[in-house]
Amino acid sequence: MRHATNLHKTYSRAPHKGVARTLKTFPESADLLTVAGVYLESRLEFLRANQNADGGWSYFPGKGSWLEPTSYAMLALHGTGSDPDLDRAWKLVRSWQLPDGSFQPSGEVKEGTWVTAQALTLARIRGVNDASVRASVDWLLRVVGAEHNMWTRTGSFLHLIKARLDVSHEGWPWRDGNATWIEPTAHTLTALKKVAGGYRGAEVERRVRDGEDLVLSRRCTDGGWNYGTPNMLYVDLPSFPETTGMALLGLEGRNEREFPGALDLAERFRAETKSSSGKAWLQIALRCHGRNVAAPQESAWGSNGPSNDVLLASLEALGHPEGNYKLFRAGGQA
Amino acid sequence: MTRRKFALLSGAAVVGAYGGTRLQKLQKPAPLPDGPAGQSAVAIVRARSYSDDLVCRMLEGIRQCGLDVRGKRVLLKPNLVEFDPATVINTNAAVIAAAVEVFHQLGAAEVKIGEGPGHRRDTLDMADDARYRATIPKFERIFTDLNRDDVSPVKGFGGEPEFYFPNTVLGADLIVSLAKMKTHHWAGATLSMKNFFGVVPGSVYGWPKNKLHYYGIPESIVALNRQFGKKAFAIVDGVVGMEGNGPIQGTPKPVGVLVMGSDLVAVDSTCCRIMGIDPEKVNYLRMAADLGHVRPGRIEQRGETIASVHTDFALIDDFKDLRLA
Repeated sequence: MRHATNLHKTYSRAPHKGVARTLKTFPESADLLTVAGVYLESRLEFLRANQNADGGWSYFPGKGSWLEPTSYAMLALHGTGSDPDLDRAWKLVRSWQLPDGSFQPSGEVKEGTWVTAQALTLARIRGVNDASVRASVDWLLRVVGAEHNMWTRTGSFLHLIKARLDVSHEGWPWRDGNATWIEPTAHTLTALKKVAGGYRGAEVERRVRDGEDLVLSRRCTDGGWNYGTPNMLYVDLPSFPETTGMALLGLEGRNEREFPGALDLAERFRAETKSSSGKAWLQIALRCHGRNVAAPQESAWGSNGPSNDVLLASLEALGHPEGNYKLFRAGGQA
Repeated sequence: MTRRKFALLSGAAVVGAYGGTRLQKLQKPAPLPDGPAGQSAVAIVRARSYSDDLVCRMLEGIRQCGLDVRGKRVLLKPNLVEFDPATVINTNAAVIAAAVEVFHQLGAAEVKIGEGPGHRRDTLDMADDARYRATIPKFERIFTDLNRDDVSPVKGFGGEPEFYFPNTVLGADLIVSLAKMKTHHWAGATLSMKNFFGVVPGSVYGWPKNKLHYYGIPESIVALNRQFGKKAFAIVDGVVGMEGNGPIQGTPKPVGVLVMGSDLVAVDSTCCRIMGIDPEKVNYLRMAADLGHVRPGRIEQRGETIASVHTDFALIDDFKDLRLA
């Protein structure tokens, strides 16, 4: 469908290093569309070439499968004609669901974590809506940030916490029993928006609204977001590109007037940041918010040659104009 | 219970707890335990700048400590925290490059580098920014992002039945903590022991590694060193340290030293004395006093004396009482 270009035909069976090598001899006058096509296709080909035998993806080739890179690789490859491979991957992901509805981050780690949100997003994109999905929703609705308790709220009220932090919202932690952070909250907002109006609809709606409010409350004074602590010891902390991108994704669908200037800051971050994942998350977020972001013009894998980072390759593919970024939108399909 | 009564009781409990903490601070701390038998050697060598012959300086210090690395798989663990071209937050690339060469020269079977930053996910981009890739030969081949390495469980760490650590860390025979000499707004100072926070995998525990905060920062520092301290060596980059609101927002503090040793408690205690901090008042060092030596009489200082390199680091208000008398 999207990638039925001549370049796709040329490189779809080529090893990814070959693609990168070809790029180094690419004529500088090559038109942008062609370069952009290679940018996307080289990443998808890298993902196809590095799927593990068990169906999953590792963070780096040659290692064991983890849910996080598997879920983003699956999203990047969704709808590109790799169905049997994605079915194998999905089977592996499902095998990691625990009886309480949460998902373990890998076969080795036997406890549920924030990756439950990524598995739920994946399930809904694949059209799954069964008891296992409802179990994940139950788990995500049960889990709240640990600072949302009587003691911390009272301490905050009495100004005993040495940070400017609104602890009135629930949000989501990395692991049950820990505090709320921007990244797991943003991923969970994306996931729960995909089940909105269905199972436990009213509670889902309330938690989504409260989660978005939490994200808004944790905005740094520079207009972006860091991991979730905008102020420490009464000193304002700076925002990061990657977490700004994720926060904006979590706010997808919310009125832009509630976070004025954030998208402009995101555009600036995207142009200036040295963080590859920051750039990728910002591309996804800006496109989801309707900003017309130019296709990447840099060489296929950046100045250091081919990256071997599966998560990064997936995010870069997702953030491409022809990539699957729309999957992050509430109810979005590729 | 009425809402009013509940609010009053909550307020009283929090005020009581806060008052208790303040009172505890005023009380004279309990005497330190004796610690392990014998003395610990800690070497202080001068390195006035990163363009000094750091290989030579490091070899001198390691020999003074009597470390034997022949045939060992060595993992170098720098402190890589933030995008920081000024190289004040992170362990300087020249120190890591020198360590790679030194451990090869000393006969290590393998020398790898591993780090898992606490807040940022772009470990390799940060390494680029800190000039690790440009300075350290074959950097990508020997580097592992510990946040995203494969992991295995260990029993009973941090109050959990199973806690997961990167296989690269578990498989090393010797972990060299290449820490930076910095103040820390929660722990007082961050040195070779706190540097072990970077071996906790973000892929399991998140960014930041919030489990450690809930377990307690001093408690986590001690637990990590109980886990890995027996196969550890420390080289603290004090060529240029950080004072004030460390470990990220502080200001550069030139000291011109590398501090080394196999007893990380003794190394950190020595660093504290160099920084004008009383290690016997630093919570995590007091808690670790059974693992290594805090008291000066139990630390055999080699190379430079503390007095010859001592320079007071600026401390934030919360830690003014840590100042060495």
